[in-house]
Amino acid sequence: MSTTQVNEPVVTAAVCPVLEVDGLSVERLRRGGADTIVTSVSLSVRAGETIGIVGESGSGKSMTARAITGLLPPGLVARGAVRYGGRNLLTQRESQWQAIRGGEIGLVMQDPFTMLNPVLRCGRILEESLPDRRRLGRAQRRAEIARRLAEVGITDEGVAERYPFQLSGGMRQRVAIAAALARGPRVLIADEPSTALDVATQREILALIKDIQEARGMGLILITHDLRVAFAMCDRIYVLYAGSLVEAAPAAELQAEPLHPYSHGLLLSEPPADHRVRELAVIPGTVPSPGQVAGSCTFAPRCRWAAGTCRESAPPLVEVTLPEVASGRLSACVRLAEIRADMRAVREQAELEAHTAPAGRAESGLISVRDVRKVFRQGGRTVAAVDGVSLEVGAGESVGLVGESGSGKTTLARLLVGLERATSGDITIDGTSASDWAALSPSERRRLRGIIQIVFQDPYSSLNPVRTIGATLAEAITTHNPRARGVPAQVGDLLASVGLPAAYAQRKPFALSGGERQRVAIARALAARPRVLVCDEPVSALDVSVQAQILNLLAALRADRGIGYLFITHDLSIVRQITDYLYVMRRGRLVESGATEQVLNGPRDPYTIQLIESVPSPEAGWLTTPER
Amino acid sequence: MASAGLPVAGIRLVTVRRRASVPWLMWICFGIALLLVVLALFGTTLAPYNPSAQNLSDVLARPGGAHWLGTDSLGRDVLSRIMAGARSACLGPVVIAGGSMLLGNLLGLLAGYRGGRIDAIIMRWVDLMWSIPGLLVIIVVAGAVGADYWLAVGLLLILTIPFDTRTVRGAVLEQAPRPYVEAARTLGVADWRIMIFHIWPNVLPVAVANAFLNFAGSVGFLAGLSFLGFGAPVSSPDWGVQLSQGLQSLFQNPIGMLAPGAMIVLTATSVNLIGDWVYEQLSSRGAGR
Repeated sequence: MSTTQVNEPVVTAAVCPVLEVDGLSVERLRRGGADTIVTSVSLSVRAGETIGIVGESGSGKSMTARAITGLLPPGLVARGAVRYGGRNLLTQRESQWQAIRGGEIGLVMQDPFTMLNPVLRCGRILEESLPDRRRLGRAQRRAEIARRLAEVGITDEGVAERYPFQLSGGMRQRVAIAAALARGPRVLIADEPSTALDVATQREILALIKDIQEARGMGLILITHDLRVAFAMCDRIYVLYAGSLVEAAPAAELQAEPLHPYSHGLLLSEPPADHRVRELAVIPGTVPSPGQVAGSCTFAPRCRWAAGTCRESAPPLVEVTLPEVASGRLSACVRLAEIRADMRAVREQAELEAHTAPAGRAESGLISVRDVRKVFRQGGRTVAAVDGVSLEVGAGESVGLVGESGSGKTTLARLLVGLERATSGDITIDGTSASDWAALSPSERRRLRGIIQIVFQDPYSSLNPVRTIGATLAEAITTHNPRARGVPAQVGDLLASVGLPAAYAQRKPFALSGGERQRVAIARALAARPRVLVCDEPVSALDVSVQAQILNLLAALRADRGIGYLFITHDLSIVRQITDYLYVMRRGRLVESGATEQVLNGPRDPYTIQLIESVPSPEAGWLTTPER
Repeated sequence: MASAGLPVAGIRLVTVRRRASVPWLMWICFGIALLLVVLALFGTTLAPYNPSAQNLSDVLARPGGAHWLGTDSLGRDVLSRIMAGARSACLGPVVIAGGSMLLGNLLGLLAGYRGGRIDAIIMRWVDLMWSIPGLLVIIVVAGAVGADYWLAVGLLLILTIPFDTRTVRGAVLEQAPRPYVEAARTLGVADWRIMIFHIWPNVLPVAVANAFLNFAGSVGFLAGLSFLGFGAPVSSPDWGVQLSQGLQSLFQNPIGMLAPGAMIVLTATSVNLIGDWVYEQLSSRGAGR
């Protein structure tokens, strides 16, 4: 760690950026040209400052991080400049990079399990990343590792002796952070550090990163798709869309008034955590590839305010000089002055609260679950995934089931649709006992399948990759009704009911985006004309703007067809938007239930309270959790 | 996806990619495979001489104008016998690879998808078959009943099926818990439909690659049996038989032995390489998921 700029005055350290990215472009080389992935991204981070790079999948945020750390996959090249300590990092050789990575710039990635070497004990992983480890004695090394683990909040010394797979996700991420910090980097890049974690753990990890950053005075670059996380963590936020920056602003000001239609739309698609809105605002369509929108405003195809000027050339990111706008805000919208008032009006409209009359529950539900247990045998041990759960879903009712991963909520869903058999207890669907689907007669089974259907979490694997959308839907129709007539027309109707053109019947799943696939999965479930749809985390794999589209679609289907939902999720803001009644599940048991508004506004169980407090919030104090 | 704004560039890109994806080595392999198909179908008619006609006045002739690859110890034309031998070299392996793919995939699908008792029965049978030394069984049976080409093919087929079953079962186990299968189950799609129309197309790359591997393997295996005298009858034009007969006159006409040997190696290698290539093509089909 040698500082090359000795003559630089110390005072400027706090003002001058530690790391400056200037006109960074990333391209994938191919014969006869190159595909753009990221174009002209400029940003800077100062010591002790947190900046956020926010974008949906395909926006190029991870590639930007990889370019900064010199870890681009083969075939990709970076242009422009990444200035750090007086050098342009993009021109460094691989041998020089090794001293920079870890020592100068640390990196924490999304999935802590793939980031830690699975065959090494955690202590060994940390040892590998320590500086000058050869000079330390055995006892000193042990003490050093214990000190490093303590810094990330691990006081149990046994952790150093364990393998990564023996630790929980949150513990693994802590070890990964300790490893990234071991050589004292001046800049830490965290690429979706909490996305793979449960909400409560997410809060702890984010608080930990923030604490260490403040204690060490590091620069922090947080890459995330979650605006709420960015608002809670960051001083300044850069919004990336289709490979280029569309807006840069201090976090609080961006939240108060976004100055680009994309940030505006993104902010509105995020379901508010504290109240229910009438309808979630959506951004139509999906994120294009940067090549498709080259030479124009990248957001123009999806922007309601797009005009001719937007498509003439790629607008640069320039400082906004409008009344009542603080200095230092950048936007790439050329029509900002004309549309600013319009955007504000749309936001005010969208903020209006929906007034839902708390409907009384039906006496006996369409689906009723009584004391259901499901026990799995795992290597000699028995684990009760569902442990004595009782719940009801009435006709046309939208019921939420929330809990963290491992709470048994997915197992319960699988029990309901007959993918698993309950160990004990009763499941009754429309008067028929469905505790054991295998014991039902074929005609009864078919009747039940016309009542309850399921939509799975992962839209990428829930459609058969080798069959066309049309074949998948046609099979769903003929399975439900073997004497169905005019199947192609019905396929078209189904696609229309989920907002897709009929021509999609010819396509195969790989030609569809995640949101479109989830629409097809919903259409497939609708083919059986169910009265209750079990939705198992249907939007958690989707981008925020697409998530809002799907939630609105589900709300519309309920209004049109009277379909009821059992909506399984870990996200409390979604539950508030879409459900009337709520069950909270933890470790296989229900801990609380009640009308959604009631439970969320006045939770009684400590676990529910903890879940609600874990929702990211920009309020001061959210990151200083009492648990640590 | 094709760039909507630049159709010309898009077309160019596609042609470039297609040419790059079929390397020259594959073209050679396709050429050899095509030649084999032609020879297997029309080899006997296309041959310059009757492959069985003996000419005792012209035995062990060196390669030359009349006999491009010379003659064997009975004066039969080596080239004609090789051309005619392509039939027995390919037909048996086709039956083995095809039959084993059909039956092995069926058993593998059943075992992997149904699980439970069906899985246990099928897989214990597979274990049993694997514990039997295959070559020994064929030699004993052929020794007891007498050498016969189709007997060897039949026995080899039975010995190959467990191999396919196990591979396909593994691939099915990977697909069965995927949401698209579970979605079909919750819709009430019949089990046999799920196996044939949902899972099987997704394990097809593995199954097809396996079939090519089985083909290449049995080319060598059948030739070996014929060489040892347990396969094709000694009078018939067969590369294995030719190899063993040519060995005795190695120093008079080395081509008489080297040519069938080279054909066996070329056939097995090119089919193997084609199998690899087909596997890559098929599995990249689902890569976008």
